[in-house]
Amino acid sequence: MKNNFSIIFKSSKFRLGFIIFALLLLSVIIFPIVNKEDPLKMNYTMFQNPGPNLPLGADNFGRNELVELIAGGKTSLIIGILAGGIATGVGLILGLFGGYIGGLVDDVLSSITNIFLVIPSFIILVLISVSISSRSYLTTALVIGFTSWPWTARAVRAQTISLRNRDHVNLAKVSGYSIPKIIATEILPYIASYVGMAFILQVASGILSEATISMLGLGPQNTVTLGLMLNWATMYEAHMSGAWWAFVPPVLMIALITFSLNLMNTGLDQIFNPQIRS
Amino acid sequence: MKSYRKYMTSKIVWYVLTFVVALFLNFLLPRLIPGNPVSTIVSKITSGMADTNSIKRVYETFEKEFGLNKPIWEQFLIYVSNLLHGNMGTSFGQYPRKVTDILASSIVWTIGLQLPAIIVSWILGNVLGVLAAYIKKGFDKVLFPVFLFISCIPSFGFAIVLVWLFAVALKIAPASGGYAFDMIPSPTLSFFLSVLQHYQLPFWSIVLVGIGGQSLGMREMSIYELNADYVKYCRLLGLKDSKIVRYVFKNAVLPQITGLALSLGTMVGGALITEIVFSYPGLGSVLFNAIAAQDFPLISGCTLLITTGVLIANFVIDIVYGLIDPRIKVAQQE
Amino acid sequence: MAEKLLEVKNLKSVYKTRFNEKITAVDDVSFDLEDGKCLGIAGESGCGKSTLAMSVMGYYYPPLFYESGIVNISGIDITKIPYNQLRKEILGKEIAYIPQAAMNALNPTQRIINLIEDVMEEHISGITKKEIRKIAEDRFETLNLPKDVLQRYPIELSGGMKQRTVIAISTILNPKILIADEPTSALDVTSQKIVIKLLKDLIKRGFIKAMVFITHELPLLYNIADDIMVMYAGEIVESGEAEEVIFDPIHPYSNGLMNSIIVPEKGIKGKKLTVIPGAPPNLKYKLEGCRFFDRCLFAKDECKISEINMKYVNNRSYRCVLQVDELKEMYEDGKKPATT
Repeated sequence: MKNNFSIIFKSSKFRLGFIIFALLLLSVIIFPIVNKEDPLKMNYTMFQNPGPNLPLGADNFGRNELVELIAGGKTSLIIGILAGGIATGVGLILGLFGGYIGGLVDDVLSSITNIFLVIPSFIILVLISVSISSRSYLTTALVIGFTSWPWTARAVRAQTISLRNRDHVNLAKVSGYSIPKIIATEILPYIASYVGMAFILQVASGILSEATISMLGLGPQNTVTLGLMLNWATMYEAHMSGAWWAFVPPVLMIALITFSLNLMNTGLDQIFNPQIRS
Repeated sequence: MKSYRKYMTSKIVWYVLTFVVALFLNFLLPRLIPGNPVSTIVSKITSGMADTNSIKRVYETFEKEFGLNKPIWEQFLIYVSNLLHGNMGTSFGQYPRKVTDILASSIVWTIGLQLPAIIVSWILGNVLGVLAAYIKKGFDKVLFPVFLFISCIPSFGFAIVLVWLFAVALKIAPASGGYAFDMIPSPTLSFFLSVLQHYQLPFWSIVLVGIGGQSLGMREMSIYELNADYVKYCRLLGLKDSKIVRYVFKNAVLPQITGLALSLGTMVGGALITEIVFSYPGLGSVLFNAIAAQDFPLISGCTLLITTGVLIANFVIDIVYGLIDPRIKVAQQE
Repeated sequence: MAEKLLEVKNLKSVYKTRFNEKITAVDDVSFDLEDGKCLGIAGESGCGKSTLAMSVMGYYYPPLFYESGIVNISGIDITKIPYNQLRKEILGKEIAYIPQAAMNALNPTQRIINLIEDVMEEHISGITKKEIRKIAEDRFETLNLPKDVLQRYPIELSGGMKQRTVIAISTILNPKILIADEPTSALDVTSQKIVIKLLKDLIKRGFIKAMVFITHELPLLYNIADDIMVMYAGEIVESGEAEEVIFDPIHPYSNGLMNSIIVPEKGIKGKKLTVIPGAPPNLKYKLEGCRFFDRCLFAKDECKISEINMKYVNNRSYRCVLQVDELKEMYEDGKKPATT
């Protein structure tokens, strides 16, 4: 295991991505401990310019933009990780069972997967969010997670099918192990690196989904997320009044988080799929 | 050709099935809202009305459209039969406008903006991707991270920054709308020029972000293809590199077509939000306003229309793909 | 003496790794190929035989680099000419190649005829599509290949048919030299025979003048090669007439190679099957003495000390400190390689 990690860190792309992500993570964890200002408290005037005590100015509600950015980044990260975990989990289970069992089970599961692959998950996200009148950030994460699994399910199924007739799997089969046990011990370890990469990408897309849905006015309530900050900035036309500090930081924050995750993913890809190595 | 017909038939069956599922979700999900949405909304619409007759008329309209107080399956049948008659109901928010009328006037703007933007970003991205794979030099260190970073900016975030930069700070492009606010749509040159002016920022904000993602995918596919045995064999046959790159481009771009089909849903989603930033008179803005007004018939109409559009686009791509890729053609025969 | 079509002198090619380490995959290789001859090159995978093929054709793409030596094709040293000249005047025209895994050697989205068109248009200026079609059809007919293959995509052809098609494409311009890199290894026995027959046919009909046949199965060469070179760890360890090298190998490695393969051929039948223990040395490191030292059953201390040069005996040559009779005696003696 230790050896594995040292290989991963040999990739300069993974290293860079990991460092950026770790720095972002550390800052959203440590900053609130040092600065206890309430991100939702309206202490300043609308779009107050950045100043010595207000490095990133204030938003349309007169809230400290920097404090809000950190809090929003934290919530967005939680939503992304939660949604990514759910999507990866659901996709993994459906893909593993469909791919391994085959036959009717697989036909049904892959039909469902294919249908939800074509119907834009964004639309289902909108429809569900519309019908839930009170949304916490946990609800948002759940809804995103349960609408974005088809990608993972499809890929995991393909990988499982390529594995299910390998010798070691057949050996386990004739040894009389149960299906869940074979899947857990003979198949899962072989696709673990792939699943890890899929999870990273799902986290990134979860953060983007949150931003998209919040921009439509369907974001979580009573909290701050990067998407909500952008939503407020647009609704109160921060860009028209030149208050760049109200939208540039959240845009950059979203881009940096997803960028670092994608970099890590590319680094891992180059290690686990040498064909793509240039 | 026989096998192709079989391929097409199975695709058609699949898309019809997918459409039915989409239709059902579209019908069911908004109806899961606790309470009776119609009576709440009707009371909202009619709050300013004094005439009991007109209140009754409003209520009757919606009762008929929704088939309230009937079992859910019967409501679904009413919904489908209304749809078949081209009736998507009446808007709550813009009563008494028909949903179909609102959608018809906005879809032109959305298609006009998104279709060219998605196609242009797809083409530019793929050409850049294959070049990056072929040239290689320095790409990994400089261009790759830049492209990746650009592709990670949400297109609407990019849009806000573009408006601020070019419309507010530099004042070289209009900030919002599909045309100058004092104009009425008409087939005149000045109207056309105004549309073109308002087109630039939303168009480029969708294109630039799209290029990033497409070129990265294409680069990866091309590197894979450049390592293929046939590239080596062709070189040893004395073929020109420019010719070989053309083979590679074709082979790498074919899977990218499916990639486009599958990412279409996400791309359209992102582009719809871009419309909101620009107050562009397309479906995105209609959806946004409908959500703000809790205008369920309109929301449902929007989502159904977008889903249908994405399904049709996917279907067309699948059919074309089956026609041009011999690898698929043979797979059908097996 | 027949005309020398190909002359390779002291050729050296290296792979450079990401960390700038040099791996000498072809080390000081020299040989000639005369008109009408077929030269067989045998060795385990990774011994540098495919790299030698690439080097002879001037196919230097990273991580493979030219280091030193001469490759004369029709009197031109191709290591000294620019790539464009090599591509236009030599590749496909003077020297042609049949790849190792013909399975993926053809572009999956191109019809066979379109590739032939591209190849011929590249080398013969002003040729029309109609003329090309005629030439291709005639050639396919002569070689007993169905004409409708021309309109097919590679994926529609069977493995054997694909390999024969590749051979026809490679030789469409009547190159003087054909380099066949494991042309039969991915095929079933029947297809193997057809392919070998086709290759012989090409020489007989004069479509090609000489051939280099590369394989990891030494006995296979009995059917086709006139001379054989055995390669080990980038070096030639033995060369001579085909029959002699196969039935009377001198070098311990050739001897081991002959003993490690089952092929139902006359004189080979009933031989004990053995495997050469161990693996070839890592060429990353500077090697002293005999490269086969670690795996050789007859190795002595002196093998490791100095560089081993080729010894020439009659028409044959080998790279070993021991004399021919010493080796022969050891092979006869009980000191046979251990059976595993």
